Amino acid sequence: MRTVRLLAALAPVVLACNGVIRDPSTRTPPTRTDARTLTDATADTPGPVAPFEPGSLTFPRLTNSQYRNALTELFGLGLTIETTEADTNPFLFTNIGASLATVSQRGVEGWERTSRAVTQTIFADPTRRMALVGCTPDATDTCARTFLQRFLRRAWRRPAEAEELDRYVALARSTTAPDDVWSGLRYATAGALQSPNFVYRVELGVENGGRRKYTAHEMASRLAFALWDSIPDEELLAAADNNSLSTEEGVRAQAERMLRSPRARAGVRAFFVQYLGLSALDHLSRDAAQFPQMTVTLAESMRKEVELLVEDVVFTQDVDFRQLFSQRQSFINPELAQLYNVPYPAGGAGFVRVDLPESSQRGGLLTTAGILAITSHQNSTSPTARGRYVSERLRCEPVPDPPGNVQFDLGQPDGGMRLTLRERLERHRANPACSACHLITDPLGLGFENFDAIGALRTMEEGMAIDASGEINGEMFVGARALSARLATDARVARCVVKQLYRFAQGRLDAPGETAMLAQLTTRFEENGFRFKRLLVELFASEGFRFAAPPSS
Amino acid sequence: MATKSLSRRTILRGTIAGSIASVALPPLEAMLDSHGEAYACGTVPKRFGVFFWGNGYGWIGRGRPDTWTPSGTTMWTPSEQLAPLAPHVGNVSVITGLEPKTAIPSTPGGQGDGHMRGVANALSADRPRPEGFYHPDHIFALSRPTLDQVIARHPMFSAMCPTRYRSIEVSVSNNRFHDYGTWTCISYNGQESQNLPIRSVDQLFAQLFGVPVMGSRENSDRALVLDAVAADARALRARLGASDRARLEAHLEHIGEIQRNLRASAPMCMAPARPMRAGGFDGSPGDEPIADKVEAMARLLAVAMQCDLTRVFSIMFTGPGSQTVFRAVGAPSGLHQLCHENRWDIAKSATIYTMQALARVLNVFATTMDVGGRSLLDNMVMLATSEFSAGDQHEVNEFPVLLCGKGGGALRGGVHYRQPAGNLARAHLTILRALGLPYTEYGFNGAETNQPIAEVLA
Repeated sequence: MRTVRLLAALAPVVLACNGVIRDPSTRTPPTRTDARTLTDATADTPGPVAPFEPGSLTFPRLTNSQYRNALTELFGLGLTIETTEADTNPFLFTNIGASLATVSQRGVEGWERTSRAVTQTIFADPTRRMALVGCTPDATDTCARTFLQRFLRRAWRRPAEAEELDRYVALARSTTAPDDVWSGLRYATAGALQSPNFVYRVELGVENGGRRKYTAHEMASRLAFALWDSIPDEELLAAADNNSLSTEEGVRAQAERMLRSPRARAGVRAFFVQYLGLSALDHLSRDAAQFPQMTVTLAESMRKEVELLVEDVVFTQDVDFRQLFSQRQSFINPELAQLYNVPYPAGGAGFVRVDLPESSQRGGLLTTAGILAITSHQNSTSPTARGRYVSERLRCEPVPDPPGNVQFDLGQPDGGMRLTLRERLERHRANPACSACHLITDPLGLGFENFDAIGALRTMEEGMAIDASGEINGEMFVGARALSARLATDARVARCVVKQLYRFAQGRLDAPGETAMLAQLTTRFEENGFRFKRLLVELFASEGFRFAAPPSS
Repeated sequence: MATKSLSRRTILRGTIAGSIASVALPPLEAMLDSHGEAYACGTVPKRFGVFFWGNGYGWIGRGRPDTWTPSGTTMWTPSEQLAPLAPHVGNVSVITGLEPKTAIPSTPGGQGDGHMRGVANALSADRPRPEGFYHPDHIFALSRPTLDQVIARHPMFSAMCPTRYRSIEVSVSNNRFHDYGTWTCISYNGQESQNLPIRSVDQLFAQLFGVPVMGSRENSDRALVLDAVAADARALRARLGASDRARLEAHLEHIGEIQRNLRASAPMCMAPARPMRAGGFDGSPGDEPIADKVEAMARLLAVAMQCDLTRVFSIMFTGPGSQTVFRAVGAPSGLHQLCHENRWDIAKSATIYTMQALARVLNVFATTMDVGGRSLLDNMVMLATSEFSAGDQHEVNEFPVLLCGKGGGALRGGVHYRQPAGNLARAHLTILRALGLPYTEYGFNGAETNQPIAEVLA
């Protein structure tokens, strides 16, 4: 079988990449139209920048985590909340999927079922029931009206209009069973949780000088979902009630307060998990023969390390975001300590913050096992995928997909000669049909070659010492730490994270009219020492987040 | 049996017990009239299903022998890759040689991408959305409903006596190439409207059998709740832009459907035992027991169809561009990667494994008795297909098409029909005709055809 592979290996390469042929002598970035990609390069378009125009309104359903968090916020912990319809993550973010997709029949049924299950749990427990309702319903509507007025405001993130309140009071009345005074409130509560006012984010703004300006209550909702991945708390709703969220200063003040809440860590984590693609670790598979140490728990640990690293830089230290690429301190548990071949501190429990050795080739986000693993194949590293990750994810510079008839097989040549992956990729790049894209990716990705497909350090391949040199911006570097240092000061990296955060917060792609806004936010990011929390506040306070274009009719 | 003499209404009233309804007979029997012939809603229903697998089969050409195409035309002789279907030759017609005829514009880029295009061709008889891949909505790739939804929503298929679920979608392998678009879902109601599959055996069980049949008071109260919810939605509708309004309209339709189900009589169904497997049905990412899982899911679907909870299903065994690791046949890594590494041997073994799984599904349907003494498979049409023929080069000529079941007597079974470079949409038209739907033409954007494959029709 080996022979078959060897013979097949070289010939197909010649016809492999004939779908995308470009002049290999130039390194023109791919144009927007030929790049099927989840990131794009609009912010890097040279030339004059048009004045800011707000982007379109969105009408997202709650993502599954938002739905769960909202129910927990309303009713407390300990509820069984099913995932009724899977999230989708086009352009990296579930918020974008939530704005685009139409809810299916089964999704609506799931909301119906969950709303009943949750309310049955709460109303079956006299303590929880009273804590929620605060009065005992009787023949009059007084208790129902008082409760529903309060509950709808929390659940819908705005006061109910008179007609709406009447509707739900009437619903409670008509569904109250003769033998159960609570049943009507239970049904009305279940209804409130199925209403589009709960399961969608209704943020449609009001006319304001030809634009839509989000109302104070809509701003409360936008802030809460973007920063907490949940609904507003009482203080945020109060700030909406007194209209202070209709000003930039008011938004800024609340954003500052919200950042001090532990919930902000959950929201920022949600962004980074999606931006960095960490959910790939939830279904990571590796060739068991090559990587016997790979387990489901190790993949979970890999993900946890990156989450803790981000949290450390953004919240605990609140330092220059770009330290994420260079920091030698990371978080390991015994499993990762073994993988990294560093001692696990005596007396430690679970994840502990450790200093990686100065001599180590490891340090920073790109050398975490999680990032190294999700950019590898199941049985080998992929300098191409790793380089593409650097280019697309970190610099927002898209690399076109390979053509459909691509040949991944860079198998060893005939005749017994053994080549490293680097050497085999060099042969691949010699093919002009392939080189245009591989010249973007491979010189970046080859810098990671001394980390294997699960992120363990290695020094040899095919009996030869690994050469981890690469090239970035026309300059040589050796190893992932050197590459990381270059990326930390690469203006494209900061610009890219601003763009992706903007998309995450808006639940849509940035529009051409928002290029100026992204540039302005990037400038402010820099002025604020690249501290991520400052970026969040600036983004929320910006006109980009507070205004929208009117809907198309 | 005493139940046979009960009127439909009486039987249904008898289920109002507030617990999971169970009766001793397949309930369709109870709905026969006193002659034991006619189904309460008309004739015995036909069922339609899709069995989809990713990355095509072990390819033909480029120095490889053809181990896909069967030999013979009547009661075909299985090829190596189709060998697992040998016990079901009489229940399966194999169609070879077909290919998509939909246009592929050269601009904007992306139209030629095999996976999305292949799914669009295989399941909607159309090209993917024309905006090109950069367009945000294009992630939902398809222009129109997939065949399962065309059928499920056809007034002549279900409107006379709608089922509890218009359709049920499941996926088997948990490996997904991406978490959006056709990578996760092969059932579309139309543009940007997907029916995301149920991914776990337990969830499928809960969906079909876990919900207690409520008393009438409870059901009517739930419907009242939905009245209020629908009123909220209608108040909101006018404030939305066109595309979001369409999304909310779909939501309102779903609400109406739930209300209809609540106000209609609850179908009776004897819940089967919850499927169990040591180690569970999901395994680990690198070692998924997908053949066991698909059989368990098929068993649940079979009961659901026997009870007339639904008549349409789709099974995504492995997804488009699947990176499923076929550990059982020695695959070291995901199938998509291996295809592009030119590993024909693995692609072939994975296809054989997939056909073994398909055979297990067919066994379930063939041994599930339906009304009138026939099996569920006898009353069913199931299209088994992929997004390609050859995964290594994203080829779509020699498209894999298996028509399973007898379509209530409309399909002959056991036929191998071959038309080199024939129009793939012919298979769709044939299915529509076998189900008794009055289509004279099908296919879009270059794939139009008015020629069903008469050779496979009875």
